[in-house]
Amino acid sequence: MGAGPNVRLKLSSRAENVLLLRQTLSGLAESMGLDPIALNDITTAVTEAANNVVLHAYGGEEGPLEVEFASGPASLTVVVGDRGRGIARALRSGETVSDGIGLPVIHALSETVEFRERPSGGTEVAMRFQPLQIRQPDGAALDDGAADLGALEVDGGITLAVAPTELARSVVPRVIATLAARAHLTTDRIADAQLLADTVLADLDRAGAGQLLVAIHVEQRALELRIGPLAGGLLDGSGRALPGSVLSHLADGQDVLAAGELQLLELRILQR
Amino acid sequence: MSATATGNSAASSVAGADDVLRLFARWQQDGDPSARRALVERFMPLARSLTRRYGRSSEPFEDLLQVASLGLLKAIDRYDPERGYPFASYAVPTILGEMRRYFRDSGWAVHVPRGAQERALKVRDAQERLTNETGRAPTVNQLAEYLELETGEVLDALQAIRAYETVSLDAPRVGHDDEVISYGDSIGGEDARFELVELDATVSSALAHLPARDRLVLQLRFVEDLTQTEHAERIGISQMQVSRLLRRSLEQLRKLADAPPDGTR
Repeated sequence: MGAGPNVRLKLSSRAENVLLLRQTLSGLAESMGLDPIALNDITTAVTEAANNVVLHAYGGEEGPLEVEFASGPASLTVVVGDRGRGIARALRSGETVSDGIGLPVIHALSETVEFRERPSGGTEVAMRFQPLQIRQPDGAALDDGAADLGALEVDGGITLAVAPTELARSVVPRVIATLAARAHLTTDRIADAQLLADTVLADLDRAGAGQLLVAIHVEQRALELRIGPLAGGLLDGSGRALPGSVLSHLADGQDVLAAGELQLLELRILQR
Repeated sequence: MSATATGNSAASSVAGADDVLRLFARWQQDGDPSARRALVERFMPLARSLTRRYGRSSEPFEDLLQVASLGLLKAIDRYDPERGYPFASYAVPTILGEMRRYFRDSGWAVHVPRGAQERALKVRDAQERLTNETGRAPTVNQLAEYLELETGEVLDALQAIRAYETVSLDAPRVGHDDEVISYGDSIGGEDARFELVELDATVSSALAHLPARDRLVLQLRFVEDLTQTEHAERIGISQMQVSRLLRRSLEQLRKLADAPPDGTR
């Protein structure tokens, strides 16, 4: 069992991305068997922390919002970080943030709260929750070197690394639905996009991928998905062609991209 | 983003900090009830704001506000100004604690899944109604507007439908001539078309091993290229059910395509 995070998300500090965090948490809760009250408390605290980054970390501008979720034997730790002027510092010094109730709410709902300076600049808030019941995912968490999301980044998009892949099955479709809704896709195309993701995730899982990297770019009535790393799975043209057929029917374009040393599948889903 | 974040609360709380301390001294040391009343008045907006933000739509606002006010009173009586941290940092967890206890006592936890399920059914019905009216599936925003729900609530509902909806082969459905036929019956009619399957060779041979129902959903989606919505109309089930069937059939097909070529499995 790795000590690293299970999910790492890189977003832009926009208000609409807070909803994406909430949906990610719902996906995790499903995998980890959290009860509704625990999920509600965790979601509320994480929402407060993220709202603070959105409102205050970059003085009204947009900047990176980086969130990690790590499950322990009986706990879930969520770290919400920024690269800005340090929202955690502002929180800690009692400077009024938002309407002044963000920090007390976080304190009230989490087991422990820690504010840290990040070596790379900015600050982060680490919140540890101890729900009544939690099922730890079976498999190693992300290791730091391998999950270099930087190589995946698309302007204005979001990137996500998940390990073990079991978690991705409940998290990734929710993230896709949230972003597909933002792209104004109709519900049947959203279902198609989720079906595509299910297919690719299942293939990568069977090919033995220990972790998954996903980058999603939202356009008006279009979604661009990058999923990988491709490693000897059904998607690398090794002759097992079923997913190829499925993908070409559901997606409006597909390609294999190189991102650093990784190979990723790129899929476009348009509103038809 | 919450609309409760305002700039002036910061200014007023800084300006009033000394007043607040004086009020606490008057109430806690001298027992002056008018000071307590003033404190309640002063911090009522906090209780109100927490009620708005963390209340559930299933509970009347006024009931929740009363619970929050009780929490505020407890906080006012127990707060110790000597410790040096602001009153809000003590009041918020006290108020939230009171609200959570209320939710637990009132069996809120038990009602959550039912509420979510009801919402999922409402979303599913609205989806079908809007599809029938406009000839195309709605977007999430359209559903949210139509049902006066938040985007997140619609997404949760769609997820719940995706996870739980199942289709039974034997579930009766009404055919075009109003006679009741089973879903299983309707599959035979489409069967002959499978010679048209254009999927590649490995897949075609694997297809032959699939149950007729699974072949039908794959056929309609991938060979005839119907959208999931058209597809649903054709076989008389919902688009969500189509989606679920597709997922299951593809999973099945993948297993078959992986099986050794001699067919032993």
